[in-house]
Amino acid sequence: MEERLDLQLAGGRARALSVTALVRMVRETLEANLGDFWVVGEISNARLAPSNHFYFTLKDDRAAINVVMFHRAFQHVRFKPEDGMEVIVRGRVSVFEARGALQLYAEEIEPRGVGALQIAFDQLKKRLAAEGLFDQARKRPLPFLPRTIGIVTARHGAGLRDILTVLLGRFPNLHAIVRPAKVQGEGAASDIADAIADLNRDGRAEVLIVGRGGGSLEDLWAFNEEKVARAIFRSAIPVISAVGHEIDYTIADFVADARAPTPTAAAQMAVPSRAELKERVAAAGAALAAGVRREVSGARETLDDLAGRLRRPDGRLREMRLRAGRLALALAHAMRARGRGDALAAAHLRDRLIASGAASLAARRHHLAELAARLDSLSPLKVLERGYAAVINSRDGRAVLDAARVEVGDELDIRVKRGRLRARTIAREV
Amino acid sequence: MAAKVRKFEDELKDLESIVNQIDAGELSLEDSIAAFERGVALVKSLNQKLDEVERKVELLTRSAAGVLETEPFEPAADDKPRETKDNGDPPF
Repeated sequence: MEERLDLQLAGGRARALSVTALVRMVRETLEANLGDFWVVGEISNARLAPSNHFYFTLKDDRAAINVVMFHRAFQHVRFKPEDGMEVIVRGRVSVFEARGALQLYAEEIEPRGVGALQIAFDQLKKRLAAEGLFDQARKRPLPFLPRTIGIVTARHGAGLRDILTVLLGRFPNLHAIVRPAKVQGEGAASDIADAIADLNRDGRAEVLIVGRGGGSLEDLWAFNEEKVARAIFRSAIPVISAVGHEIDYTIADFVADARAPTPTAAAQMAVPSRAELKERVAAAGAALAAGVRREVSGARETLDDLAGRLRRPDGRLREMRLRAGRLALALAHAMRARGRGDALAAAHLRDRLIASGAASLAARRHHLAELAARLDSLSPLKVLERGYAAVINSRDGRAVLDAARVEVGDELDIRVKRGRLRARTIAREV
Repeated sequence: MAAKVRKFEDELKDLESIVNQIDAGELSLEDSIAAFERGVALVKSLNQKLDEVERKVELLTRSAAGVLETEPFEPAADDKPRETKDNGDPPF
């Protein structure tokens, strides 16, 4: 800013400016000459006012400036700015007129260093998404009851302890294979990727849990690296990501077949509760037995019912067979009586007649079976199932279709779905 | 589905639908007896599946030569860090 500001301050006593005019002139000059910019510094004296505006001082080793970030902008900040933090701030400079104070009005704030990581994250995410690594269609369903579970996490971390506690709590006879991996710092991404590959080579696990307990964004960074993303993508075994960071997603979360917010949640996702399943199977088994007992006693009733109705046609069959036999004999007799004496022919004829009688018997029997099947399908029990009842007048044993045919005092036999009721007619309305 | 072992969740679904069918009285007696027998077999198979796996926690490591090795791992006894061939990750 080399050019001299023309503030016309040389007007002499007579033309003295008011403080307001002076400060306004300074403000307007600043605003006219300085637009938006990014500034780097360290936070000190940070405080959140009751109005939710955020105030702090941004300084480096030689200078300082007061910064205000209004709630409107501050509500979008995803981390908590704290004293001592190196940050990069975007804003404009102006003057708070009431106190003549120079201030930086901030619109954005980012922790320094992570800002660069954030950019790397966004770029990688975009690239892998374009390659289809995050496609929903690619995600595989987790096995309902995996026999063996592979775990990739820190050897001594709380994450591993949490996972094993939950896994073994839900499914005590479980087979778990732990492939310990370095989960933060130099080489962590490679180690995690190798671990996923090793478990695939081992091949026994049916689902993998890959993750770690909570930590800062930098601590979790390995799970944002391309190596890990590609290893998860290549895994033939479905992967549950379990990076302990409930709010932010890592790249690993996007690629994984399922994402759990914590290692504990991942373990819950990986195996069902054995006790619950046992209970479900036992309940189904009990219902099965009860259902069949009911069914059998119902069927026995139906059978009794059918047997009762079938007596008559059975009798008729016997009669018919007798008649056929009698006829054959009579015929043979008649033939002999006609004097031809052809006993052989008569016997032959008789045999044929008896045979045809038997054939007719077989046909009858077949018909009977058909009848039984139809009776079954027409069985009133089917209707009774739906809550209707059958009413039989005990006096004549006939179904009551017309109240006029029932006398007051008549005993009625009422069939419902299960069992019968005996009732007496108290009144009649026709 | 002949050779392949059926999945637990499929069998469980079958069992529950058999129970529903019998409960709804939709089956003939012969069918419901057959369904019952199938159901009993499913209960047996499901319980077997829940019991068959043996509790085992293993540690999988890879030697410098790239050979995978497993050793038993007892998580409870292992809370304290031991001779560390790993990277001294802080306990989170």
